[in-house]
Amino acid sequence: MTKRAWWILVPALVLSPPRFAAAVDHNNIDAGRPLTFDDAEAIAFREFSGEVGPALVFPDGKSTGIELEAEFLYGIALNTHVGAGIEAVAGDRADSEETSFAVETMGINVLRNFNREYGNVPAFSIRGDAAFAPDGSRKGAELRVRGIASRALVQYDRLHLNVDVIVVTSPEDGERSFRPGAVLGYTRPLGYPRRFDRTGLLEVTVHASSTEDAGAVASLGAGVRQQITVRSVVDVGIRTDIAASQREPHDDLTSVAGYSLGF
Amino acid sequence: MKRVSLVCCLALGAAFPPPCFGQAEMHSRMAAVAHPESLPPLPNSLPNWLYGRKKNHIFYKRGPYNFDLYNIDRLARDMNAVAVGHAMAYEALVTGKADSLETQIFERIHWVLEHPPRLMPDEASISPTFGRTYGVLEEVFDWTHILHAQTMDVLASTDLSDSEKDQEIEALWRYYTESVPYAITPLPMSMVFLDGQPYSMAFRDKYPKVNGLFWGYHWLQGAVYDGLYVKSLRQQKMVYDVLGDRYHATELYRTDRPFMPMFAEVSPRFSLKFPHIANAFDNLHMLHDMVNDILASDWIPTAEKERQILRAIWLVSAEAHRGEEPGQSRGDDGMHDHRHMLGMPAMGMMKFATEEIMYMDKMGWMSMADCHHCSMPLPEGADAWKAPTVSAEGWTMRARCPLCARDMAAETRGRAIFHIPTEDAFKPLVVISDDQGNLTTDRPDAVFLEQEGGHETCQKWSSAFSSRAAFDAHVAARPEFKNARPVPFQEWADLRGKKPNTYVKPEGPEGNPYDKHDEDTDEDEVDE
Repeated sequence: MTKRAWWILVPALVLSPPRFAAAVDHNNIDAGRPLTFDDAEAIAFREFSGEVGPALVFPDGKSTGIELEAEFLYGIALNTHVGAGIEAVAGDRADSEETSFAVETMGINVLRNFNREYGNVPAFSIRGDAAFAPDGSRKGAELRVRGIASRALVQYDRLHLNVDVIVVTSPEDGERSFRPGAVLGYTRPLGYPRRFDRTGLLEVTVHASSTEDAGAVASLGAGVRQQITVRSVVDVGIRTDIAASQREPHDDLTSVAGYSLGF
Repeated sequence: MKRVSLVCCLALGAAFPPPCFGQAEMHSRMAAVAHPESLPPLPNSLPNWLYGRKKNHIFYKRGPYNFDLYNIDRLARDMNAVAVGHAMAYEALVTGKADSLETQIFERIHWVLEHPPRLMPDEASISPTFGRTYGVLEEVFDWTHILHAQTMDVLASTDLSDSEKDQEIEALWRYYTESVPYAITPLPMSMVFLDGQPYSMAFRDKYPKVNGLFWGYHWLQGAVYDGLYVKSLRQQKMVYDVLGDRYHATELYRTDRPFMPMFAEVSPRFSLKFPHIANAFDNLHMLHDMVNDILASDWIPTAEKERQILRAIWLVSAEAHRGEEPGQSRGDDGMHDHRHMLGMPAMGMMKFATEEIMYMDKMGWMSMADCHHCSMPLPEGADAWKAPTVSAEGWTMRARCPLCARDMAAETRGRAIFHIPTEDAFKPLVVISDDQGNLTTDRPDAVFLEQEGGHETCQKWSSAFSSRAAFDAHVAARPEFKNARPVPFQEWADLRGKKPNTYVKPEGPEGNPYDKHDEDTDEDEVDE
């Protein structure tokens, strides 16, 4: 894997952490569908889930690029699911001059929920991710541990706090090996009390840049998840980096669409 | 349990057995002054799962039938709306909005019932406060609702044969009971006991309109099973055209029910075939009522409400009754009274019922073992499927023969549904009666044997056949009917049988036992 490809892998992991989660309910929120935060709920025990989602990316000062993600999930135990997925890119990208199609990352993850929300106690989960370069062109892996807390804000709306720690096991020159980050997500059913198949999402993201001494990157995102059949959900969303150092490659806008299927 | 028919009982001049065990105590409890100290304590050594803090979502059993209820789209949508209605009411009860239940919340629910959602909503997202407060209860409800949904999916499947459907329903039951510790008991429970708690009736008295909706949902959730069971998709749609109209026009808005609709009162055929499932659904619905009553009892402190809801879950849980058998009764408090009505293992003991007779809404005292038209014993065991049923005015009754069913329906108001078995258990005749009593069927080539005699043998001289050939084969094998002619459907539809000389009007030990509650309530109001 080329260095330029790694420049894509790293921001991809941070800006849009491996979206290796899925959902079949419009109100079950998983990273990547369409924003970057998770809620604290695992998919059901014995459930299979698949999701796919293209994204149009508008890198700062460049032409449009495309990302494609696909993931498979399984509820391996009560309150626990595991997942595996890939990400591919084509066209312009923020941190590379490469434009050809490439499968950038493959990853696995596990999410463990510790409790449901009760009283004033949020639901807590922890999620671990490991992402690898599929062609073996780079040593090591990107590891991420994410702590997740979800709780009601007023009544129907919920807050989801995700706190991330990313470790690059074999950092290259000028690359951070340890990066903290956090996402605050907000969800609210749309159309209630007359419709019950749509959820709106907002998020604010702050994370350390992947480049040493490049400061932090802040992003905003908004999206909608719409149940379209008993087993499937479509989602759309946009994300934009609102504050980033010029030394940190970033995207002006990312437009995401996706489809999730439970079976 | 030895079956004793009501007719024999009367003929021998036998006295009615004493009323259901412990009823006097139950009614004295109901009349007692509501006070937290009157509440029963939590049993000792409750299982840990009752105090669980995990989500514990389990995926439904996989099968080609899942979501086939959408083959009958109107029914599927009505079921979706039911989920919304339950959740909205619970959320109002736990968020201090109970005062608007009968007005604003009712109107909100009503709008959804009139505009049912296309897809099943996630109840947890409609009642998040309720879920945070009573998470284990939500688990119990959700898991049993999944069994509800999947059994309906199986029945609505066009891929499975009827015998495969029977097998799959049993497989669903095993999946339901073996996957979680919090399954509902399949045993018949004493409704006298469960509805005789210090808080019982509170919700019904305070919020009659919303309670009417709840019981309307439960009516639909029960009635639809016989509407789907052993029927083609076309027949199912015909039946739901009638049931759905009645649900929306009448059943949702009734505030005069004496008790929640029981499964065996509205789906006796399914209940006989799967009494364990029918009992579990009745017990689930009773748990709904108990929770409603607890939440509506302002005199119960919040912390105590949580304890009483845990206790209510425990009372109807399978674990609390492990090793016990249908028909048995143990202890003296009624919790382990699993006796059931003779002829109906899916009907626990009701108020002032004996095992022979019970009081049924709109029907009065009746026996579930005997034909309500001719009072003769209904077929049992392997022959139980041979009894026709009539659905009218909100109830479904088994009859002994097609003519009994026809004449029983003629005495009812509004549209009626007949399910008339033929020579083939899987080829029933579905007949719809309109408001004027005009009959139509999906099998106009069906023929009948009608050689009217005494009702002691009506199950022999009145029969339906899916074809002329089946009729001929039946008659050829029975010399006593050698002169019988096949009666075509339209001619049969105009028949009127003689009044059965075997008919005996059942008389219970009291009048309407549910008037007791009304009297108690009136007296309390006067006292105040």
